[in-house]
Amino acid sequence: MTTALKPNLARCIWTSALFAVLAMLVAAAVRQILGMDPVVQWSTLVVVAYIFGAVGFIVGIGGFDYWWPWIIGKDIDPHDHSQHGAYSWRDYFKFNTDHKVIGIQYIVFTFIMFLIGGMFAMIFRAELANPGYQVLSDEQYNALISQHGVIMIFVFLVPVFAGIGNYVIPLMLGAPDMAFPRVNAVSFWLLPIASFTLLSSFAFGSFDTGWTGYPTLSEQSPFGGTLFQIGVIIAGSSSIATAVNFLVTIVTMRAPGMTLFRMPLLVWANLATSALVVAATPFVAGAMFMAMFDREMGTNFFTIAGGGSAIAYQHIFWFYSHPAVYIMVLPGFGIISEVIATHSRKPVFGYRAVAFSSAGIAVLGFSVWAHHMFASGMASWLRVPIMISTLLIAIPTGIKIFSWLGTVWDGVVRLTTANLFALGFIIAFTIGGLSGVMLAVVPFDVSITNSYFIVAHFHYVLFGGSILTIFAGFYHWFPKVTGRMYNERLGRLHFWIVFIALNVTFFPMHYQGLMGMPRRVADYAPEFGWSNTLISVASFALGASTLIFVYNMIHSARHGKPAGANPWGGLTLEWLLSSPPPVFNFPVTPRVIGGPYRFGEEGARHAIIPEPEPAETEKVGA
Amino acid sequence: MKNLKVLPLAIIGTVIGAVISVILIVTRTLPMQASEQAANIDYLYIFFLAFSGIIFGIVTLFLLVGVYRFRARPNDQREGKNVHGNTGLEILWTAIPFVIVVACVIGGWYVLAKDDVYAAGEKSGQKIHIIGYQFGWKFDYMNEEIALKEEAELVVPVGQPIAFELTSNDVMHAFWVPDWRFQMSTLPTQTNYASVTPSKIGTFDVVCAYLCGVGHTGMNSAVEGSIIPQVRVVSQADFDKWVAERKAALAQEAEQADQTTTAEAA
Repeated sequence: MTTALKPNLARCIWTSALFAVLAMLVAAAVRQILGMDPVVQWSTLVVVAYIFGAVGFIVGIGGFDYWWPWIIGKDIDPHDHSQHGAYSWRDYFKFNTDHKVIGIQYIVFTFIMFLIGGMFAMIFRAELANPGYQVLSDEQYNALISQHGVIMIFVFLVPVFAGIGNYVIPLMLGAPDMAFPRVNAVSFWLLPIASFTLLSSFAFGSFDTGWTGYPTLSEQSPFGGTLFQIGVIIAGSSSIATAVNFLVTIVTMRAPGMTLFRMPLLVWANLATSALVVAATPFVAGAMFMAMFDREMGTNFFTIAGGGSAIAYQHIFWFYSHPAVYIMVLPGFGIISEVIATHSRKPVFGYRAVAFSSAGIAVLGFSVWAHHMFASGMASWLRVPIMISTLLIAIPTGIKIFSWLGTVWDGVVRLTTANLFALGFIIAFTIGGLSGVMLAVVPFDVSITNSYFIVAHFHYVLFGGSILTIFAGFYHWFPKVTGRMYNERLGRLHFWIVFIALNVTFFPMHYQGLMGMPRRVADYAPEFGWSNTLISVASFALGASTLIFVYNMIHSARHGKPAGANPWGGLTLEWLLSSPPPVFNFPVTPRVIGGPYRFGEEGARHAIIPEPEPAETEKVGA
Repeated sequence: MKNLKVLPLAIIGTVIGAVISVILIVTRTLPMQASEQAANIDYLYIFFLAFSGIIFGIVTLFLLVGVYRFRARPNDQREGKNVHGNTGLEILWTAIPFVIVVACVIGGWYVLAKDDVYAAGEKSGQKIHIIGYQFGWKFDYMNEEIALKEEAELVVPVGQPIAFELTSNDVMHAFWVPDWRFQMSTLPTQTNYASVTPSKIGTFDVVCAYLCGVGHTGMNSAVEGSIIPQVRVVSQADFDKWVAERKAALAQEAEQADQTTTAEAA
């Protein structure tokens, strides 16, 4: 086969183009047959081109190379591993079914999106550095803040945890791979399409509605608004497929002996998160479809003229998008439990309480969506029940915070970069949690909602929370993934700049909000001048610190000291394997013989890998 | 008892936390309290700061002391204590947040019930229809039958509940007066109801709090160059005078419009 026919990125280009053009021709033909005027309506044609171009991309990358012969009834080899494992760097740019390769693909790709989203933030912080208009027009400003939110949420925070989970969870479970490796690969390859769709909206007038995309403002957006909706739907599909994969993997593929209460807490957190994703994400997809149909097909779900309800969108949207906050932070809680226990050489304090609190947050998470709408004019009876359920979430969250403190206590705390990020997370997340409690209380929320107080709150939760846990995870598993140690000094420098700059960036925003500065504005009252200058300077430091991280990761991956199998003395299964782990993970199915955090117990082990003797293997298998 | 070692630290943490609370409360920066509802909401905020400072103090102190006291020395091969939990302690730190949550519910619910004076406003006070549009507000005095044109200022009497009905002509906006601690969205597809009792005479900034398009930034009377007028709170006597003036002006306008139409017809 020539390169153009093999499943790879080159084939993607022509298959996407082919599918897109065919779809456009069919759409135009249908319009011609139905006598619609004009036959060539560009917005309709571009919509179908994007949707079918996405399918073409998956075909091109090789998503159907195995499935298609199966579908049409040809013989397939169920043990075909030709697409499994990375043997050269080129394999990372291909359709690959190895969860470790997919994990790295996810992490690197989403991190690039993080850099792009962060760059947007730098640009609009430059605009906000002084009162008046500096570098952006109102249109550009609105487009950038909207892209910043959407990119960070849908193609960084949600999928990066899927990436970390992908790499670590099958290893932690003692499984050879995820339950559905090909679905897993398709889930990943949907992400570049979603990102391309979102970012290409700049070429179509962008969208200026914020990441929430409320109608009826979204009906006024240029064509880019439709691409925002399609992009979110594609990212959501990816997210749902991954979550199903995690659920099945965690439920059915645990090594013998791994009871529920021997599962590492990251696995618990991912189980809860996946249940949330599966149940909630269809709602945001539904909201986006309805809003897109309103725009492109003349339906009247939310329109004024058709008697639609603008507030219905908000209910459906937040029914996903509040649980989404937990989707973006629960796996992070799991990472923190792993990191703090391992680097403080102490069992997680109150393991069961921490595990159940994840489940509790996931369940309660469905009953709190309307706290985003206290001032929106929703049914007034709903306010008090939602206030109560929102406040109740503080309890499982508090249990987690206190349990991590209890884990540090009486431990032997190693201040590695991973642990510093985990400990710094506790402080930053406590601040975000406390302002969350304040915002749950209806009268207070109504007095300052949609102000910078909100911006401060959710950046403490998503930056001080999620992103610090992501960095903790990156540093913790870096030796496992690359087989080399990162540079501790650069790591610590990175931590301290991030921790100080994040507080200087986001803390003053509380005061701005209380004093009456609304969010999503390109200009503000002169009294907020100096505080905004301070915030902008700190945010540039925050952005610059990422360069240290990127340098450290790239340089150490090639030149770092060899790490060995278990540099941190971790007990969970991934540390029993070489670094990086073998292509098919465990030579023999491991056996779990105890809890995952038996630190300080003489000779205690979580699991053993039996000697790969044929007789022994059979016994374990039987 | 092992916990006794922890107890003095918990007390120190509480004290440090209380100091943080006091600093937060003393240095709190809030806009002027220009409505009767503002004071209660500010009390809630002070209560939040009080427990937030204490919790933050305890968490941070335990973290810092824990990390310092139990730090690993270079080449330290020791392991931590094999402790998996402590049921009493876990019940305690579930109960404390629960008590705070209950206090927040009671406080929030009380303030909400007390300030929900829409019915009172409808009965006794001015009823004003706020119409949001891109990019400004229109005000319709329903009792007085005065409909103000675009870019007009909102003038309300002091000391009585004002019942607002809010709608929008195009997209979602949110009518926010920070000095009143008052915000309510205006939606194009439904009418929202809210009320507030202004308690201070003066002018106050009006901010559109919800992103409504390219003119959103300018829909804020505090921003330089904005054409949005501030809200003006006046005494009852001044308000009556203003109403009379507006009515006269409107009558005159109507007359002029009539004359123009007659002239055109002729």
